[in-house]
Amino acid sequence: MLKKDLILRNPLRLMGHEAEDILPEGGFGAVLARAGVGKTALLVQLALNSLLRNKNVLHISLDDPVSKVCLWYEEVFRNIGNQYNVKQIDQLWEAILPHRFIMTFKIEGFSVPRLEERLTDLTEQSIFFPQMVLIDGLPFDETVRNTLSDLKTLAKNYSMHVWFAVRTHRHEKPGPDGMPAPLLRVADLFEVAIQLQPVEKEIHVRALKGGTALSDHPALLLDPSTMLINLGNSTT
Amino acid sequence: MKNHIQKIRNIGISAHIDAGKTTLTERILYYTRRIRAIHDVKGKDGVGATMDFMELEKERGITITSAATYCEWQNHHINIIDTPGHVDFTIEVERSLRVLDGGILVLCAVGGVQSQSITVNQQMARYEVPCIAFINKCDRSGANPFRVIDQLREKLGHNAVAIQIPIGLEADFNGVVDLIARKAIYFDGDNGECVRIEDIPEDLLSEAMQRREELIDAASMFSDELTEAALEGDVTENLLVRAIRKATLTREMTPVFMGSAYKNKGVQPLLDAVTKLLPCPSDVENQALDTDKDEAVITLSSDPQSPLVSLAFKLQDGPYGQLTYIRVYQGTLAKGDAILNVRTGNKVKVGRVVRMHADQMEDIEVMPAGYIGALFGIDCASGDTFVAPGISLTMTSMHVPDPVISLAIVPKDNEAEVNVSKALARFTKEDPTFKVYVSDQTGETIISGMGELHLEVYLERMRREYKAEVTTGMPRVAYRETITRMGEFNYTHKKQTGGAGQFGRVAGYMEPITEEDFVFENKVTRGAIPTQFISACEKGFRKCLAKGPKMGFPITGIKVVINDGSSHPVDSSDMAFQAAARGAFLEAYAKSEPVIHEPIMKVVVETPTEFQGAVMGSLNQRRGIIVGAQDEGPTSVIEARVPLAEMFGYSTVLRSATQGKAQFTMEFATYKQVPKAIADELAKKAAEKKKNVA
Repeated sequence: MLKKDLILRNPLRLMGHEAEDILPEGGFGAVLARAGVGKTALLVQLALNSLLRNKNVLHISLDDPVSKVCLWYEEVFRNIGNQYNVKQIDQLWEAILPHRFIMTFKIEGFSVPRLEERLTDLTEQSIFFPQMVLIDGLPFDETVRNTLSDLKTLAKNYSMHVWFAVRTHRHEKPGPDGMPAPLLRVADLFEVAIQLQPVEKEIHVRALKGGTALSDHPALLLDPSTMLINLGNSTT
Repeated sequence: MKNHIQKIRNIGISAHIDAGKTTLTERILYYTRRIRAIHDVKGKDGVGATMDFMELEKERGITITSAATYCEWQNHHINIIDTPGHVDFTIEVERSLRVLDGGILVLCAVGGVQSQSITVNQQMARYEVPCIAFINKCDRSGANPFRVIDQLREKLGHNAVAIQIPIGLEADFNGVVDLIARKAIYFDGDNGECVRIEDIPEDLLSEAMQRREELIDAASMFSDELTEAALEGDVTENLLVRAIRKATLTREMTPVFMGSAYKNKGVQPLLDAVTKLLPCPSDVENQALDTDKDEAVITLSSDPQSPLVSLAFKLQDGPYGQLTYIRVYQGTLAKGDAILNVRTGNKVKVGRVVRMHADQMEDIEVMPAGYIGALFGIDCASGDTFVAPGISLTMTSMHVPDPVISLAIVPKDNEAEVNVSKALARFTKEDPTFKVYVSDQTGETIISGMGELHLEVYLERMRREYKAEVTTGMPRVAYRETITRMGEFNYTHKKQTGGAGQFGRVAGYMEPITEEDFVFENKVTRGAIPTQFISACEKGFRKCLAKGPKMGFPITGIKVVINDGSSHPVDSSDMAFQAAARGAFLEAYAKSEPVIHEPIMKVVVETPTEFQGAVMGSLNQRRGIIVGAQDEGPTSVIEARVPLAEMFGYSTVLRSATQGKAQFTMEFATYKQVPKAIADELAKKAAEKKKNVA
């Protein structure tokens, strides 16, 4: 399988999004799930898809050290390679690496001005110009609205779009429209929201906001062993 | 009883510079009565302060950093093994770490976890060495042991749990409270040799009880028995120690001790902990590789009756000749035994067996499994495995990574020349990744190794230990050639114009592979090439690998398949087919789009956050790909992949860019294709060089 075929297998396409980048500049997307269901894996798939199209991805993690984030990429990429039988995977991997940049912060040390400072370091010296940003581990608490508003401005200024991993909790009740609690107060800032839900032994992928509603689409599953999106042949 | 394996501890003391490793070792040797007086590293006369440890040791005639120092505590035998604090010498580090069963991680109560602590911790983690931590310098102003415990948890990921709390801190530091025994420990006498045990002072009682609860909580995760006892309020000392030991051995807990080695406080309880909490040799599973079964992994038994397996982990020149430090993993090594060196296949007879003390040695008759000692008069390299004749196990893989950098050296005068050859002979024996050869083009002596620093350290050792002054050339990177696509060959070597004729034809193809350096496959059918000439063909191809036709670098990652050919009943010979293979190689190589590969290093820079941008800029300028930047509050860790060719002199650049506040480590990562512009430049240089030689 060739690189372009791999791009066609893009997880968003599988979800019915036709456009290459479903988020506009300054746009926000969210992947919501409880802990351990596969948020990071899905984010990494989205990132790899952009990387394969030579788009620069900045991965910001507030939980894990750089080495662990690297492992996520290696693991997901290897699984994609195996699943689609990609030849010369090593060369492809080498080719995408220069387009990825990982930044990690301590949760308490992360702030938008600080991120901006780092971005300036990178762009002023022409080291890296991110086009897509992933933020994993940002706590969606009462104060997150301010952070998100500042991030939106930053994203617009730098012509990037941002995907977030948002952790939901079992005990928090969703809103009337089914929107999970962490996103309730800030849903207006997001163009796209995708939820991962474990149903028995499978993980279902549901679009909460944006893109085509998936009602007329076959059930999408996240394979729990590889954490890759499959066009599901649901048995349930 | 003394010979019982459960009474042996082989430990290493790891610390970053200035955490007090030397002072602690010195106090341990003093309290175990191995040395009779205490000298300060930073002596009041100022002599000590200006000397480094090695010279200090020389001056005093003791060998604190001898590869293994033996001492006794509470009827236990403790071998303290020297652990190098640097990560650049992968093989040396690996060897010293694999002979340890447990470690003491020494941290400074003021400085806490620093970048070098991270390095030594990584070494311990890589080899899964169980360890206890000792927070030293509790008497210094600014000492805060509990902050260090937090850092141990956060920065190093240890489940660090305090076993003691300090009685007073900074100038008031008096002793420690033992949370297991619920007693206060004070250290009296001129050198703290009298341990006085009393009740916990009133003002510390509530804190001590709270910390003890935390300790019991943490330890009961590993023992149901303790959990039950805790619920019933009946926790015995023995039960608690057992649970802590269990968790320590599996690296699931790091018990933390406190003290000030310099002020003679807290060392004896630490020694107690070594005997109580760290593993004995039979607690640790050791593995060897079976050379008869393609290096299959075999678990060794620590039974002294089994056949001998032992590892020579360090060579040292002493006043009495060469000492070979050896650890017995299985079986027993006795004076007069005949043992086999697995690498060379030579059988040697064991002469003297000794045990090293701080400043003396003691002759012993036997060394059972788990022991560390030294042999006299054994000719071997470090890392060699010695076994009982008849078995074929090796402790280390025979695979040694190829060097990535080389440097020409020229001795300054005749005297230096003799010393240089002595030094080089020694270093190559000690470290298989360090190689020496004489260039057949220029006649220069070339040394090669795993990095710029690796070679620099050996040059420095030449100067210091062998008084050999050398001038060095520019470092050279070990480039390689390889092919990127398949290329076919069909070559006939024919010389039949007089005298004995030569004839051979080989046909087939070559293609790139990644797993191995060279593979040769014979697919010739129906005797197109007679069987007896196939090996000549392989030899012919192999000979071409040493020097690639493109730029003269060695060739790797190539598979040659021959599938046809022809021969002549009289004129075909080994020579003819070798020549045919050479011709075929050149023919196919040109078609296979050869490229140059260069070594890429994994570079990790730790810098104060304000210099992050400057550091990233400096790496970027060096064709580096920055993998990521980890923000850790006041410091940042930047990881990058940078071609080795661009890293020369980086330490100076980094120093000036960060006011000397950043440091970096570098290790070999992989080989990668050189960008076209650089390859063209290399080709130009190679052509110029050729012209000059001509």
